[in-house]
Amino acid sequence: MLEVVNLSKVYKKVKAVDQVNFYIEPGEIVGLLGPNGAGKSTTIAMISTLIPPTEGDVLLRNENVIKEPTKLRKILGVVPQEIALYGDLTARENLEFFGSVHKMSKKLLKERIEIVLKQIGLENEHKKLVKHYSGGMKRRLNIGVALLHEPQYLIMDEPTVGIDPQSRNHILETVKQLNQESNTAIIYTSHYMEEVEYLCNRIYIMDKGRIIASGAKEEIKSILSSEKMVVVKFNRHSNVFIQELMDLPLLSNINVKESEINFTVAKDTNLLPTLMTLCEKHKIVLNSFQVEEPTLEDVFLHLTGRALRN
Amino acid sequence: MFFSLIKKQFKVFLRNPSELLLLLVMPIGLIIILSFALGSLWGGSNGETMEIEIAVIQHEDELKQFQNFIVEAKQTIPMTEPLLESMKSMLPVSILLDQVLNNGETQEFVKVTKLEKSDLEDARNGGNYNAIIEIPEGFTNDYLTSVFLNKNAPTFQVYLNESEQMTSVVIQNILDYYQYQYSLFTELAKNQLLTEEMTIPTLDITSNIKTVASKDPITSSTYYTFSMSVMFILFLAGTIASHAYLEKDSHIFDRIILAQVNPVTYLASIVVSTVILTLLQIGILFLVSYLIFKVPFTNLHLYLLITFMLSLVIGGVSALLSSLNYRTNSAEASNIFSNAFVAILALLGGSFFNISGISPVLAEIGLWVPNGAALEGYLKLVQDGSFSSIQSIITNLGIQAFILILVAFLLFPKRGGIA
Repeated sequence: MLEVVNLSKVYKKVKAVDQVNFYIEPGEIVGLLGPNGAGKSTTIAMISTLIPPTEGDVLLRNENVIKEPTKLRKILGVVPQEIALYGDLTARENLEFFGSVHKMSKKLLKERIEIVLKQIGLENEHKKLVKHYSGGMKRRLNIGVALLHEPQYLIMDEPTVGIDPQSRNHILETVKQLNQESNTAIIYTSHYMEEVEYLCNRIYIMDKGRIIASGAKEEIKSILSSEKMVVVKFNRHSNVFIQELMDLPLLSNINVKESEINFTVAKDTNLLPTLMTLCEKHKIVLNSFQVEEPTLEDVFLHLTGRALRN
Repeated sequence: MFFSLIKKQFKVFLRNPSELLLLLVMPIGLIIILSFALGSLWGGSNGETMEIEIAVIQHEDELKQFQNFIVEAKQTIPMTEPLLESMKSMLPVSILLDQVLNNGETQEFVKVTKLEKSDLEDARNGGNYNAIIEIPEGFTNDYLTSVFLNKNAPTFQVYLNESEQMTSVVIQNILDYYQYQYSLFTELAKNQLLTEEMTIPTLDITSNIKTVASKDPITSSTYYTFSMSVMFILFLAGTIASHAYLEKDSHIFDRIILAQVNPVTYLASIVVSTVILTLLQIGILFLVSYLIFKVPFTNLHLYLLITFMLSLVIGGVSALLSSLNYRTNSAEASNIFSNAFVAILALLGGSFFNISGISPVLAEIGLWVPNGAALEGYLKLVQDGSFSSIQSIITNLGIQAFILILVAFLLFPKRGGIA
């Protein structure tokens, strides 16, 4: 098991990570969900022994790896958020280079390159210079490099940022397959809650350097068990109308997106009559009224008062 | 693994045409342009030894004047045989023509033509001579009178062709020294120190002129081959350090560290790859100059020695810039170096022109910058070709390399990471 105990990082006077506790068992996929600037990247840089924490420990099978990182580094693969590749080399040359710095034997490296190229779907494109790749292909190779030495633990930092849906799906499938076939434990950080929902068994939600919620997917969603999500659509709305809606004591976490407004209300509330009266007063037509299951996004909104992607 | 780091550096470097253009094509272009454009300043035409043509117009025969002077001076000075011999050996026009303009050293590059009085105007208008010396009537008589009878010293006229700057400077140097000797005799006589027992020394020309004459000439193409090469390899250090910073910025360095590569090994790979690339860059530039300009590389092993020591310094510079980039988490150190510092080093090191003419202090400092020291070494090899002439430069470059590499390794961060 890889475990993080009371991990903190302070830059000058800013606390980037504050008393984070975290664990991952072999074969698990754990999500680290949080908006940009939540401290996810700093946390994983400390877990991967690249930067020392100000406080706290990182334990691999109860052994501290901060001072002696060799054991962890041998079995760890890291996919950074940035494209950590040489654009002037081909995919194969990149894999050859990173494999050789891992001191892999030539024979093993050759075998692993073929396997990894297949895994990431670049077996027919390996001769192209990486700088000529699409964003999605670069992201896939970025993952492939981390898989070369068959790590037992894989940390993926926002691996799908800025790519097309097709490449994104390919990456998500690759991650799932990798976990199922090789039993690789994966720490998956993202601010896309649907990715984390799809992939992860357990989730940690981070905000402003702290873990604000953690547990299995359903456990986290149960934070909103006493509430329901409502999405309403109007033919139009005005600032005065929105203000009056916000002033209603029954509503919380109101989010306005053009003609659509979503909010949470207590599960047993009958809101419809109040809403109709308000619409009549402002001569606004209610086009739809929909009650939805809470998502992780709603949980985050509930916990922080902010949307995940803000 | 170390070999992989070097191999990767080469591949990345060789696949970058804009950098190759800066590091190879630009210096070759500049060597060619500067060699031809400034060739005339280096001795008339490129690749040729300096030739100075001087015309001398003497209005009156010197021996005749000397005899007239003896007749006149007998009434006030007792004329002994030794004194007469001394006087004979200090006749100014003979000294100028025989000892100054036509001695063993100067006759290799000075050609003296005697003209008649009537030819003066044509000679001045024709522009065929670098200088015309006009010695007026009674000059020798007046000179001897001024020395022995305390009268005013005479003057002669020199017309310099100033469109040819280098030759004008050399002629002025020769005449300045002649004038210095000439004034010395006058002063000795005025102070009663010029006696009949005294032997008049044979005039010697300045040591500077001797240097020009006794050593192999340095042509503009030779000078700019070396000066441009040592300047452009400085850009290589900046380029490699920028590449190294990109590796940090894109987290490639993190990947290398996570693969259990010691940061010291990584930095050592930067030094070694810079050394090899510097050797290759200089090798290519020298080969091109050899093929185009026939720049001489006798004692090739000594050129290789200087080049290797210089490569170590450049390796040290690129390692230090990489360390600074990593420390400051930006590419500023290498950018400032390439955009501003290289120009200063080039100026101090004499890459554009020989700075000793402007300031001897700056020239001395220039010997302690890598390009300046190496340029000095290469030029010494062209003129002398012995190990002893470059020994101090090798030591100098060795000290620079050691300090730079040591500081770079001390400064380089021992971990990766985003912070």
